[in-house]
Amino acid sequence: MADASTVAELVNISVDGRPVEVPPGTLVWDACEKAGIFVPVYCAHKKLEPVAVCRMCLVEVEGLPKLQPACATRVAPGMVVRTQTEQVRKFRDGNLEFLLLNHPLDCPVCDRGGECDLQDFTQRYGPGRARSSITEKVHFDKAVKLSDKIMLDQERCILCWRCVRYYEEITGEREIVLQERGVHTVVDSFERQPLQSQFQGNLPEICPVGALTHRQYRFRARPWDLRRTASVCSHCSYGCNIFVDAREEQIARYASNDNPEVDDSWLCDQGRYGFPELNRPERVINPEARVGGLRQAVSYQDAVARAAGALLRVRGDHGGTSVGVLGSPRMTNEEAFVLQWLAREVIATPHVDHRYEPLEGISPEQFRLGIAELEGCDAVVVIGDRPERLSPVLTLRLYKVANKLGRQILRVPETFSAAQVVKQLPAAGRIGIVAAQADRAAAMGLRAKAGSAGREAAVLTITEAVNSRGCQDLGLLPNVGPGYRSLEHSGLFGRQLLEAAVAGQIKALLVVGDGADFEAEGLFHEALAKVDVAVVVTAWQGVASRAATVLLPGRTIAEKAGTVTNTEGRVQRVRTAVEPKFTFPSDLRILGDLAAGLGSDLGVQALAAPVFELLAAAVPAYRGCQAGLRAHWEPGS
Amino acid sequence: MDDEKVLTRHLGAPGLTTVGGYEKVGGYQGLRKAIQMGPEAIVAEVKASGLRGRGGAAFPTGTKWGFLPKDVFPRYLCVNADESEPGCFKDRVLMEEFPHQLLEGVLIAAYALQVTHAFIYIRGEYRFQRELLERAAKEAYRAGYAGKGVLGTKWDCELIVHGGAGAYICGEETALLNSLEGRRGQPRLKPPFPAVKGLYGQPTVVNNVETLSNLPYIVTEGGARYAALGTEASPGTRLFCVSGHVERPGTFEVPMGKTTFRDLLELAGGVWRGRQFKAMQPGGGSMQVLGPQHLDVPLDFKAVAEAGSSLGAGALVVMDDSTCLVDVASRLVDFYRHESCGKCVPCREGTYFESELMHRLEAGIASRAELAELSDICANMEGRCFCPLGDTATWFVMSALRMFPEEFESHCGAGRCPVRAGSEVAA
Ligand SMILES: Cc1cc2nc3c(=O)[nH]c(=O)nc-3n(C[C@H](O)[C@H](O)[C@H](O)COP(=O)(O)O)c2cc1C
Ligand code: SF4
Ligand code: SF4
Ligand code: FES
Repeated sequence: MADASTVAELVNISVDGRPVEVPPGTLVWDACEKAGIFVPVYCAHKKLEPVAVCRMCLVEVEGLPKLQPACATRVAPGMVVRTQTEQVRKFRDGNLEFLLLNHPLDCPVCDRGGECDLQDFTQRYGPGRARSSITEKVHFDKAVKLSDKIMLDQERCILCWRCVRYYEEITGEREIVLQERGVHTVVDSFERQPLQSQFQGNLPEICPVGALTHRQYRFRARPWDLRRTASVCSHCSYGCNIFVDAREEQIARYASNDNPEVDDSWLCDQGRYGFPELNRPERVINPEARVGGLRQAVSYQDAVARAAGALLRVRGDHGGTSVGVLGSPRMTNEEAFVLQWLAREVIATPHVDHRYEPLEGISPEQFRLGIAELEGCDAVVVIGDRPERLSPVLTLRLYKVANKLGRQILRVPETFSAAQVVKQLPAAGRIGIVAAQADRAAAMGLRAKAGSAGREAAVLTITEAVNSRGCQDLGLLPNVGPGYRSLEHSGLFGRQLLEAAVAGQIKALLVVGDGADFEAEGLFHEALAKVDVAVVVTAWQGVASRAATVLLPGRTIAEKAGTVTNTEGRVQRVRTAVEPKFTFPSDLRILGDLAAGLGSDLGVQALAAPVFELLAAAVPAYRGCQAGLRAHWEPGS
Repeated sequence: MDDEKVLTRHLGAPGLTTVGGYEKVGGYQGLRKAIQMGPEAIVAEVKASGLRGRGGAAFPTGTKWGFLPKDVFPRYLCVNADESEPGCFKDRVLMEEFPHQLLEGVLIAAYALQVTHAFIYIRGEYRFQRELLERAAKEAYRAGYAGKGVLGTKWDCELIVHGGAGAYICGEETALLNSLEGRRGQPRLKPPFPAVKGLYGQPTVVNNVETLSNLPYIVTEGGARYAALGTEASPGTRLFCVSGHVERPGTFEVPMGKTTFRDLLELAGGVWRGRQFKAMQPGGGSMQVLGPQHLDVPLDFKAVAEAGSSLGAGALVVMDDSTCLVDVASRLVDFYRHESCGKCVPCREGTYFESELMHRLEAGIASRAELAELSDICANMEGRCFCPLGDTATWFVMSALRMFPEEFESHCGAGRCPVRAGSEVAA
């Protein structure tokens, strides 16, 4: 985007003697950062408007008699900024003394101990010793249950206003307010009503101290006990970037990892607090096989050999088309690609899917619009409430588009008249259309209508689950091959495939992944009971694991390495954040070994990186995208 | 003194709080004339008068008006009637005695600035004055001076009287705007300044009651004549509230520049009970203390600044020789602690720190190290706060400490207040 700021002349300023060049309008704080100079801040936050209330960032600006807040002062040509002078140092000490005056100093029992800006800056700048005879502190409520998710300690609060501004600027919900004044000022929920927002989990993260904490994480761990891994939230298809913080191979919390293109640093509570799902103890931890009617533990090699043998036998007796292959929208791209290859090329069956319900009439054009590109739209039409229910963080991007950028957001019901909607749109400009995948036909219809009315329209389709998009792109579907290649013969969709199994046409099932899409379906149960062979690779005990004739322990998404594709087609890495309780090969290796047992060779090592090269050769849109780029699909179709 | 008066020139005329009474002394002629002159000529006249804001900052009124961006409408006028400065009660007099003079001033300013909505933000505790103003505004509407088509012109002007909720900070212009909008009374980040983005995000002028009450005179008699009442550097007249240890506390209108503090003290009957003058605060609770050596300083912006203080909001608080300055400082700091809005750290925590130390000092239990600590805390507040409230919370303490160091030192470790002990005056 070649906007005014890149065209306008840069401003030269100096920070502590270092020259730095920044666009006009840049905040001194940002210019300092660019010059490599750290300025301590409490109230300032990259995603919030400056308020300059904490005064921690005061610096000297030549020619001005008073110290200036770096967080709220804009650069001017030739500005000379000094951040390390005696004056600045003295005030920083003094300001920290002020902040600590009424602070409870209960770091030893505070969740934020070790990752608290008050602790850190006091270490770095603080006066070093207490001098005051004033020991009486103003007291507040130390354990306000703001909701079932958030705890507030009003004594630890340094009144940076970030939480209040977060609600004002980012969600628009205004659930936290400032009350009283002077040294009695506190933040609290409005009239102590429980917070309702679906985005509360961001509060403890923007709070610079231990005033707002996650009840889920309260007293659970110390930051230095945690191992941090950058990954992707597995709750939905939006692909928010996260850090997985683990302690003793259990996930202790998710934290946001700002990706301005995707999450803009915010997570929804369903995603953030959803990980206990992955910590559940009901795991499959040993390879097992039915030997003479009885299931028993077997060696990994034995299990693979038995699985391959059984599948070969069914194929030999009834043909490849008597085998059904089911994956999961929570598989990685690498697994999905290998699984569809295993089905089509090795087992020679067209019956492969990753979902229960059929998905027809899909094309890359339905995914043309990117998440951040919503900000470039003059108006955005949102079809129904499904998109935001599927991917709650989308709501925050839409709020930004409406509130901060002042663009029109048009929410229409799932059934609507495209002609009527087009009439309500701006006369010209770019139109974004957001729809759940279930409403893709309506979205494409509206796009066509808007297009013929002279608007440039593009669609952002919200898929289900973390990697349904990748599974679709890579052909883990019976009706399209990798890269949406059309097929000579379509196979059966998930549900149909299970029906065929119940009817006796499908004799063997290969089920890989967490099975969550199928586990709740009675049909799945029946099909598994009916087939002669059920090879199951899963992390979880459940219908599939119990019915398996051969069972191999799979990994959860937190235990895997690979890539997943978010709903807008961004290919992002998931990394192993915790190790499983067993040492058997990864799901991807299992698929490679199974192929080998069936007499085929993948051609590369069954590891994420080489397999990605393999799939990118088959689906050129993915080439070079493994580090977070959107797959680039040729226009058309 | 028999100098010409501006604000109080009609004092004593019957029925001044009614439209009729006010009209009898020439009331609303200024507005009629202003409408004939047109906006530009009014602004020129105000500039010629040299009128400077009477709310405390003494910013030239004509210049302030000139900051409004051209062609951005609606614009708003806010009248600052929050008068909460300790020792200050002159706006109250103007509203009680001359409500129509104020309304006429407001309407003249509104016409000059092409404003159609003028808000009068009045201190919450001024309930009687608020009712009085509301009544006066109703009358002005009825007489055709306000409302739709003022005096038969196409110009509409609504007058809205809004009561505050009892916060000193809401006298600060941007906090006033927040409060008026129904938000928390706290100052806003500047820029943008109110002239560019004020009430409801629109260009706004905030002026003090006294500032605007001068306008009927300036328009009818001319800016030059107004200016000549004072000196070149300090034009016009000004109301001063004299209180404290004087025989006849009250509000006095005097020419600027030509009058001295001693003159003001005399107007108020001199120091009471035959006592000696000890100290004074020339501009209300916020300003630095001055001593006997400053009594002959004229009421001139520059001269008072050179003496180390400011005329602030025009309130002279006189202290006699029985006064303990540590006690006064302690009470003033308590005021700021109570009134700090809580927005910024150095003011919120600093005023608490300061007041706790002052209590110890006044009780005679603080050490000399704590006295040094007090200065250091003040240094960490002054010029570091978000708005002037926090800065001014240090001014009296620091100036008193500079001027009367022995008095502060004698408190250290004394076990009680050495000044008040033995004094019969329970201050
Ligand atoms: C803490 C604080 C309190 C103030 N209180 C008042 C007040 O009560 N009345 C007032 O007119 N101005 C007050 N002011 C000054 C106003 O901010 C503003 O400068 C003034 O209303 C402008 O009017 P003027 O230009 O006519 O003086 C206060 C300023 C501060 C910083
Ligand atoms: S609770 Fe945290 S984020 Fe909110 S004002 Fe207090 S310190 Fe800032
Ligand atoms: S100095 Fe700070 S805390 Fe004090 S009144 Fe101003 S903004 Fe509020
Ligand atoms: S970070 Fe600048 S004032 Fe708080």
